[in-house]
Amino acid sequence: MDNPYVRLTNEFNEGRLRAILSSGQAVVLYRLAIMSKDGDWILREDAEALGHVLATLQLRGARYRYGAPLELRWLTHGWSSHLEFHEGGLRLRCDFVTRPPRIAPGDLQALWEAPVRREAPIVSLPLLAELKKTNREKDYAVIGELARRMGDPRLELLYSRSARDLVRLAEDHPAILEHAAADRPLLSQIGHGREEIERLLDQERRALIRKNEERLDRYQRAARPWAAEWPRLSKELAGRPLPEAHEMMVARAAELLPDEP
Amino acid sequence: MTDRRDEFLSEEDLDLENLSIEELEAYWRLWLTQAQSTNDADREVYSHGVFDREPAVSE
Repeated sequence: MDNPYVRLTNEFNEGRLRAILSSGQAVVLYRLAIMSKDGDWILREDAEALGHVLATLQLRGARYRYGAPLELRWLTHGWSSHLEFHEGGLRLRCDFVTRPPRIAPGDLQALWEAPVRREAPIVSLPLLAELKKTNREKDYAVIGELARRMGDPRLELLYSRSARDLVRLAEDHPAILEHAAADRPLLSQIGHGREEIERLLDQERRALIRKNEERLDRYQRAARPWAAEWPRLSKELAGRPLPEAHEMMVARAAELLPDEP
Repeated sequence: MTDRRDEFLSEEDLDLENLSIEELEAYWRLWLTQAQSTNDADREVYSHGVFDREPAVSE
């Protein structure tokens, strides 16, 4: 597939699996929607993987955007790194994490052992649904459609955004419902009917949005000294080769960006 | 009367499943090319990760 993000993913993975395409581009590869012009990857959490990704981006003439350096010191605490370059008239943005939000350590490990293979390795449908629990309303519509493609009643019960679907699933799979309700409280109210489940779905979505906003606020508070320095630093980085810019980023971030938010 | 279902995405999105890989690629390319028109507007904005906006850099 001549998708630059797919090509880049396969270059990141030359000789070894290091990068799994997630979020918007995974949605594209699942043929669910065309919804993002940026690329977003989960990287393997080791120095070799990060070095290979930086070397690949250096060949494209990439530059750092505001964000954490692509270094384990920050990525292991959930920070994200952001680079961009231009190619064939397109602005291509590359966003990286090694600890994606809302993904349990065991699920993250399993991702590396058995990624979904499409034109490039991508996150599974349930993990993609977790990643889409953001503070953007439109992502909950995507989760709703992802759930319908999971093909497993338990997973559909855990992720569906449709009260109609949930009522039907509960009728068809009462034993599975009982177990799933332990992980999703609104399922225990399904006997109260569709209207009540619609209300609880709205409430659940708003709670997830608030939770993600609080998570982002924590990082942004911790990054205030780094944000204040960025206008000056970005001028110093301009035009420098990526390895040199990276070293400068790391040195400055060591003083201003805490490891833990 | 037909059974209704809750709808999340547009007809165009749902039709992506019926495209060949070449058609999907061509559609995505066209979309991405058109989306470049908003590059100035979203220059400082982030769509992933823990940062939401690039601090202003004076020219």
